[in-house]
Amino acid sequence: MNAATLRLWQLISPTLPVGAYSYSQALEYVIERGTVRDEPSTLAWLRELLHHGLAALDLPVLLRVHRAWTRGDAAAVVRLSRELEARRDTAELRFEDMAMGGALTQLLANLGEPLPAGAPRLPFASAFAVACANWRISEDDACAGFAWAWCESQIAAAVKLVPLGHTAGQRLLLALGAEIGTAVAAATALDDDDIGTTLPGLAIASALHETQYTRLFRS
Amino acid sequence: MPVEATAQRQRSWRGTLALRFAARDGRTVLAERRHEGPLYIQQPFFPGDGVCHAYLLHPPGGLAGGDELTLDARCDAGARVLLTTPAATKFYRSDGPASVQRQRLNVAADATLEWLPLETILFGGSRAAIETSVELAPGARFIGWEQLSLGRPLSGDRYAAGWLEQRTRISVAGEPLLIDTLRWRAGDRLLGAEWGLAGFGVCGTLQVFPANARLLAPIRELLGAVTPSYTELRCAATLLGELLVVRCLAHSAERMRTLLEELWALVRSAVIGCAPSAPRIWRT
Repeated sequence: MNAATLRLWQLISPTLPVGAYSYSQALEYVIERGTVRDEPSTLAWLRELLHHGLAALDLPVLLRVHRAWTRGDAAAVVRLSRELEARRDTAELRFEDMAMGGALTQLLANLGEPLPAGAPRLPFASAFAVACANWRISEDDACAGFAWAWCESQIAAAVKLVPLGHTAGQRLLLALGAEIGTAVAAATALDDDDIGTTLPGLAIASALHETQYTRLFRS
Repeated sequence: MPVEATAQRQRSWRGTLALRFAARDGRTVLAERRHEGPLYIQQPFFPGDGVCHAYLLHPPGGLAGGDELTLDARCDAGARVLLTTPAATKFYRSDGPASVQRQRLNVAADATLEWLPLETILFGGSRAAIETSVELAPGARFIGWEQLSLGRPLSGDRYAAGWLEQRTRISVAGEPLLIDTLRWRAGDRLLGAEWGLAGFGVCGTLQVFPANARLLAPIRELLGAVTPSYTELRCAATLLGELLVVRCLAHSAERMRTLLEELWALVRSAVIGCAPSAPRIWRT
């Protein structure tokens, strides 16, 4: 077991103080609508967002920030971060990403970790990539870990909201976990020009969540 | 047979149009106009709202494979401009190269631009690359909309083939505020999925800058009032810094356009400073 692996576990632990558990990324809205209502529809929703959302935007940006920071190119880290923020297409999704990224950046600063000069605002995938590059976690492992943490956090929200039993939650984690390799491979193969695809239905659901009457989650 | 003339067309069209609007003696004038190929602007006119209205004309009526249209419009400080089109923009079937439409809209401080083209119709088999760059100076004012229809359901065109890549970038003082990339191939899961187009055939957005929570509230009220059900019409508004974005999915282009016009009418006086006066061309 090398040190990098242990540090990746630390980064993807639900105890990492970035507040991941308080966001649902519109899952709370589509559950209210009945689009997601049981174990199979939860799996279908999360599987498709893993491939069409995370693998098309967060993971390819994470990879590029990891590479940029590894070669010490802070300007590229800042540019990639601004573009990722500009691709978050609702107030809640943008708030979530910048709040989690800000919390992780602050934590890294408190731990004395090197960060891009000038304290730029980093979205979560960027801050995560910077931490991974500092800790010599490979870009592949960083992507897989990021995707794993996303699956775990989304499933935790589904277990609470649908609601689902804990065994169902673990079954979902097994099923989604089996797809992470494919998602990371797709993200790695993506050209610069192909990063980021708007998902109009998700954006509308997220914007409607902003005015949802009863809600437990901040996105 | 559809009437698109891809087969007869001997060469592809390249049209470019560069416009610069400026304020002179309290009035907006078209200070510069350069064009090449089949993309024109009709003589601007002033319907009495203090805004210079201009129609973009594209006589071929649509873009075939290999066609490229480029618009570069600048609004200097103090200029007040509304750009629209008298007809829908059509992307015809192409078996070869993509059809490309680019627009670069640059708005200076204290200038206003309303970018209100009629809908874009993606014919089945079209290969459409659309690129819109909106560059705003701090203090600029902008209302823009985009509306895409997939196929022509009334003519039996269900968009069985083709692809789209539509990139929209809105920046303020050179910093990106919103980057939006719609891309799909006919038959993609995205077109039917609830997180994608959810089976709707018309997709639209409205962008308003600058905006704030006071403007967001009545927009949400209107959207709540006109949305009959989640399956008939789906729309929502959000505020990204000072940029207000409304996204809508509808089953018909008419429904979408009515909604976008209602939203425009609601925000125009707050953002542009004058009451809405819908261009007559929209009613002909």
